[in-house]
Amino acid sequence: MTRRGALPRVVRDALRSPGGHCYRHCDGPVRSYRLSSPLPGLWQVRACPAGVVSVTTYAEWTGKDTTRAVRRVLQQWTSPPSLVRTRDLRWATRHGPELGRAAERFLARARPRRPVRVVYWRVYPSKSRDGTERRLFVCFRRSHAGPVFYLAAPQDPDRTCPACARPRAATRRRSR
Amino acid sequence: MRATEMSGDVTPNPRPPRARRITIVLAQWCPHCVPLSVRYGRRLARRLRVPLRILDIDHQTRAADRIVREHGDSAPDYLIPQVFLEWTDRRTDLLLTGFSEQVPRTERAWKDLLSSEWLRSVAKAGVA
Repeated sequence: MTRRGALPRVVRDALRSPGGHCYRHCDGPVRSYRLSSPLPGLWQVRACPAGVVSVTTYAEWTGKDTTRAVRRVLQQWTSPPSLVRTRDLRWATRHGPELGRAAERFLARARPRRPVRVVYWRVYPSKSRDGTERRLFVCFRRSHAGPVFYLAAPQDPDRTCPACARPRAATRRRSR
Repeated sequence: MRATEMSGDVTPNPRPPRARRITIVLAQWCPHCVPLSVRYGRRLARRLRVPLRILDIDHQTRAADRIVREHGDSAPDYLIPQVFLEWTDRRTDLLLTGFSEQVPRTERAWKDLLSSEWLRSVAKAGVA
């Protein structure tokens, strides 16, 4: 741990997302993926094998409000950025006693005392005008600068992430 | 020597604040809240020997919004449940906010809170 706000290992372990199953989509196992960003805290995305996102979390060891910074980073990762709405960002303050014995002891001893702030970004499924259900997906392809969050219909076999579709469209144009 | 001691008029120490009430802000439709947090909230209140107050965001909206706004994790659409400990000196501490991941994660947080060193010390002394 080197940067101010970075989570010590004991707190990281306490905040590690549990397993579980994809909610109302495929019932597949949900995995947690860690993301890196210029922010010092811990990012985790919970997504099923198809890429449907349950929730994205950002945790930082600070008493300050991190929501704005979180929103800015999410907007860089999301296509279109307007998908990141203030009302979908919720936060929780974790003080220690609810994080297990090890994290509680660590946070109680630390000076100055500060809690852990966790911001949750959850986009609930929505319906488009034609009644098609749309969910939040994430694409982790290494060719992208970072993760790409986008809305798509889970039933659509041709769905592609906007960043993946861009070079494909460019290739198509070139081949004409 | 202080004036009070000189005159023999010793001012009694103010009584240390004591736990007064547990309040849970919840919704009936939320699986992190009912029955989970009601059950664990009762246990917590029993351990502290204080009453439990439940504020339903759909029925006691103003009181629920107010305690969350003033002492909790407030947001336009805030997380529930939020559990508060009110003290006799009018202080209010946020003890637990539900985890947005899955219900078992919130249950784990409740279990950790109930077995925490902090709760043991507060329950033993009854003071902050």
